[in-house]
Amino acid sequence: MKLAERLPGPPTEEDFDSPLRDERLTARIGVLLGICFGLAFVTGLISHLHYSPEPWLPLPSRPVWGYRVTQGLHVLSGTAAIPLLLVKLWSVYPKLFAEIPKGRIGTLVLNLVERASIGVLVAAAIFELASGLANSSQWYPWGFHFRATHYAIAWLAIGSLILHIAVKLPVIRRALGEPLTGPEPGPSYAGPSRRALLRTTWIASGVAVAAAAGNTVPFLRKVSVFAVRNGRGPEGIPINKSAKAADVVATALDSSFTLTLRRGAREVSLTRADLKAMTQRGHTLPIACVEGWSASGTWTGVRLRELLDLVDGPAGSDVEFRSLQQHGAFGHSLLPGNFADDPLTLLALRLNGEELSIDHGYPCRLIAPDRPGVFQTKWVHEIEVQA
Amino acid sequence: MKTRIALGAVGVTIAAFGALRFLQTGLANMAYSVAWLVGGVAIHDGLIAPATILLTLGARPLVPRAQRSIVTLAAVVLATVTVTAIPVLGRFGARSDNLTLLPRNYVAGWFVFAALVLVCALAAGLWSARVSSRRK
Repeated sequence: MKLAERLPGPPTEEDFDSPLRDERLTARIGVLLGICFGLAFVTGLISHLHYSPEPWLPLPSRPVWGYRVTQGLHVLSGTAAIPLLLVKLWSVYPKLFAEIPKGRIGTLVLNLVERASIGVLVAAAIFELASGLANSSQWYPWGFHFRATHYAIAWLAIGSLILHIAVKLPVIRRALGEPLTGPEPGPSYAGPSRRALLRTTWIASGVAVAAAAGNTVPFLRKVSVFAVRNGRGPEGIPINKSAKAADVVATALDSSFTLTLRRGAREVSLTRADLKAMTQRGHTLPIACVEGWSASGTWTGVRLRELLDLVDGPAGSDVEFRSLQQHGAFGHSLLPGNFADDPLTLLALRLNGEELSIDHGYPCRLIAPDRPGVFQTKWVHEIEVQA
Repeated sequence: MKTRIALGAVGVTIAAFGALRFLQTGLANMAYSVAWLVGGVAIHDGLIAPATILLTLGARPLVPRAQRSIVTLAAVVLATVTVTAIPVLGRFGARSDNLTLLPRNYVAGWFVFAALVLVCALAAGLWSARVSSRRK
């Protein structure tokens, strides 16, 4: 109760008398938090590569569930980090009020630099978790460009985290080397033990993951009470952008629809009946979105490679897909050659045994293995083989 | 010490790359982002952390000593997991043209979650009371 006795006036570090706020607790939570941030960073880099028009590292089209797993891990490791970060920040909050050392100018500067670096780390960490969490439910309450900013701040967060580990290494070693318990708290203390708080923090983190993981893990669909998706939708698959939002209802349902295949001056036009007359193939492939949700469906349609052959598209050529969608950044997509040639890549006409619904991209859509959902272009009306 | 200096140098380099990428997003974008960067720290340090302390001080006299551990731990799970559910509880991203987005009743889901925490806390409380009475 020291804090209450001294009010009003700013607190000092010593006012925080809970025996739980201890470096042994902080360091243990920090280890798992570091793992979560590392996992989110690496899977985030993979997603960023998928989104790059010309990735410096070409991505494979297999395994088919690649992006489903990496992006699911990305969002879930961020979710797991939220309870961890909250408890960790709680455990070090008194340090905010620590006395700034007087005397030698060098010590003072070093102290201020360390404080500044922790300030950057905390700001970047909260920014990444808050913006990522909001984005996963398609809530964009900001004016910044999400992808570029979330990416830049991720590097800032990981860099300042590594610096923080370097600065604190002796403390971390000492704290992890010592047992979590002891010395016995004073008789006035009646709260939980450090071990109990630590275990509870793991549980909170695990519960947060379980409550969200049904977005992407089928057997958790019913358990995950805070999942943004439940795996259901037209033909059994959720959608991200509706035909109405993409403003394609009239053009997609137009009976005079034709698909144009193009390579240089060569051009072939196909009606939907022409597409249906070609060999139909069925493959089970996931739709996996950047928001961390995914669902697997059985898609039926024409193998893309067989369409490209109609205009003698050379093997390995990148392919541009154009949608009836006129607005927005994802009205077109560039499919790298190795994805275009993958025998599983389809121009789908049906999904899970039913005609493709308009929200899933009727008259036809691209579905390729191991690709972010936004690049599985819907309402395709032009396919152009790149030179 | 050498390890620490090397590690620190790696960290500074990576952070500098991030800062450079951030600069490349442009002034207007940076202004919007800085509000969030500073705002996140300000909301935590100036609002969430003091509110947690005040709530703890306020709740302390209301909770019997023997139950303080369990109540504290239940509150940690309840509060931190609820933070992860803010976007779905508020349904801020909901769209009338897409019923597959935010398809659940999240408020009902929260009560199920809260009830589960309560049941676990009660069970843990009973268990620890039994264990301590046996010791006596």
